[in-house]
Amino acid sequence: MKSRALLRLAAVAILGAGVGCGPEERRTEISVQRFFGECGAVYGRSTEVAAAEGECGIVTTLINRFAADNPDLDVDANVVAWPGYAQLTAQIAAGDPPDLVTMHQSVISDYQARGLLEPMDDLLRQAGVRPEDFTAAGRRGVSKGGAVYGLPWDTVGGLYHVNTGLFAQAGLMKDGKPVVPRSAEELLEHARRFKRATGRPYLIQSQVNDPATHVRNLYTYLLAQDAVVFPDPQHIRLRTPEARRVVELFRTLEREGLTTRNQDYPAATASFLNGEGGVFLTGTWMLGPFEEEARTPGRPLHDSYAVVPYPRLWGRQAAFVDGHAWVAPKRERSPEQRRALARFIGFMAGHNFDWSRTGHLPAFRSVVESPEFQALPHRSDIAPLATAGAPLPSFVQRQAAIEGMVGEELASAITGAKTVEEALRDAERRVNDLLSRL
Amino acid sequence: MKGLADRHRLTPLALAGLSLAALVMVAPLLWTVALSLKSNAELMRDSGTAFSAPYTLENYRAILQGSQVFSWLLNSLIVSLGTTLGVLALCSLAGYGFARLEFPGRRALFVLVLLGLAVPEQAVILPRHQLFADLGLHNSYPGLILPGLAAPFGVFFMAQYFRGIPRELDEAALLDGASRWTLFWKVLLPLTWPAQATLGVFTFLASWNDYWWPLISATRSDRFTLTVGLASSQMNYAQTSGLGYLMAQAVFAALPILIVYALFQKQIVGAMAGAAAR
Repeated sequence: MKSRALLRLAAVAILGAGVGCGPEERRTEISVQRFFGECGAVYGRSTEVAAAEGECGIVTTLINRFAADNPDLDVDANVVAWPGYAQLTAQIAAGDPPDLVTMHQSVISDYQARGLLEPMDDLLRQAGVRPEDFTAAGRRGVSKGGAVYGLPWDTVGGLYHVNTGLFAQAGLMKDGKPVVPRSAEELLEHARRFKRATGRPYLIQSQVNDPATHVRNLYTYLLAQDAVVFPDPQHIRLRTPEARRVVELFRTLEREGLTTRNQDYPAATASFLNGEGGVFLTGTWMLGPFEEEARTPGRPLHDSYAVVPYPRLWGRQAAFVDGHAWVAPKRERSPEQRRALARFIGFMAGHNFDWSRTGHLPAFRSVVESPEFQALPHRSDIAPLATAGAPLPSFVQRQAAIEGMVGEELASAITGAKTVEEALRDAERRVNDLLSRL
Repeated sequence: MKGLADRHRLTPLALAGLSLAALVMVAPLLWTVALSLKSNAELMRDSGTAFSAPYTLENYRAILQGSQVFSWLLNSLIVSLGTTLGVLALCSLAGYGFARLEFPGRRALFVLVLLGLAVPEQAVILPRHQLFADLGLHNSYPGLILPGLAAPFGVFFMAQYFRGIPRELDEAALLDGASRWTLFWKVLLPLTWPAQATLGVFTFLASWNDYWWPLISATRSDRFTLTVGLASSQMNYAQTSGLGYLMAQAVFAALPILIVYALFQKQIVGAMAGAAAR
């Protein structure tokens, strides 16, 4: 009796083990790691991509949807604290990086230069994604040394967010569109006229603890003047007439009270939402919240919001942009895993429109030109950014650190703590010192 | 002749000064709590709305509904308690050894331990990370607890406390036939309770608030501690578009710490006063 029971137990165990080792259990595992926050409470199980809102909601739902559509794959999605590079570096050092990671395009060169990323040309080909279909900005952002190191997912850049109600008071509206300046002199003239008519500053700027704002302005207008900012990987060139022109303009705006002063990012955002200025210089990511305000009756921005790319003040139309991409850290992968990654990449590329609902510009020309994208609020106005937008040269490393240094010096010049010449000299010296140690 | 109560009574000026200082101390906390009770949309327009109704618990609801927040809380508790217990055990033993035992190289070894106070964590983070990677300890509780057990300050603190206990107690116990272990465990260790409480609370707080090591060691979200987990749930520009949620996270993360303070306030104050007098 006892031995029969033992036999039964053994049979159950063997059957159980057999079931555990069945073909349906041998799923290929891929690990994807991303930032954009964690919102499992709302979107943890959602696969309705069209119903998702915001960066976190859309990316969470997209990954859920991919996992649901591919039951033969085990998708391990990891959310890291913004921006996640400390963790990624640690994972690489420990020899256990994820298969795919979200990365700013401006950061790719830091990892690529050290041989830590896999060129993705083959994976993209396997996924049926052609780099020729990327937007100009997207392709520039992920191309390094003739190879493609990521799937570009969007283009992120600075925009002129306009309070059209106040612009109308200042006579700066024409045919329902804001009138933007076509030169530095015209910008000053518009700003003075705006202040006389409304009593408010023309520009709203986040100038405290926000080096990115200053740097975005400088790089954009240096690109417009075709200035060579980085002649080689070890040097930045800022003591130029082109750079002086840009910084002098923003210094004049500050000196004449034509811009808000001493505001950090939240304060500047609140100023714009409360109708305390004409133009807020911030990025694509705020389009959604501002559009929401424009739809809310009783709010200062109600029916009074427009957004356009930075106006051409010198040279040609240009914009300094960055973007997000999916990159593949170097590691050993089985052919099954590579096929699974290609499926993931193809899926994400195929849902680029869904991501563009965040406010960021799509990374695929076909999506930018699609009627559904053009039908989204303000998107047709800002679409030129996908063509005119350009990142720094692909060989420039440590772009985040450089942004911090240049931004600090620009803030000193614009607020008058240093002369323009001193600030540009100090910025150049600090950045060159950093780059010389690479 | 003034009585004790009279001597401890505060003058109106001192009371006003202390009240002002207390207000300065508590103002950031109150501000954080007030912001956490407001909607994100309202705060994006004007953080001054924190002074007026309506208030909402929406941000706390969002935290509690977070898919992993309770596992992060559990991870933090396991790591903090594990580190605290480990530090108390090791530092008590080491402190006793340095204070009471004679052995060759004792002074040199004590100096070596104290030198650990001068080495910042950042200086050893790379080799430590590599070592833990080689041992396969990342994304594990031991990986999060073990680095915290090297506590030179704790050793110094306990050694000083043991030195302050009269040696006559040792002699009496040894005369009564107690072993070294019995002397340590049954006679001296109970006398160090105030120091243990202080060291324990400080270690727990430091471990609870630790961000840097868990950030790079626990890279899988199911192994995040609360600090890293809450940071991971923030979106970029959280200070603008999710300020209320950000503040609710700060309050939520601080609650266990406040509970520890509330429960051990007497021991903390007593031990600090004792340590200062000593």
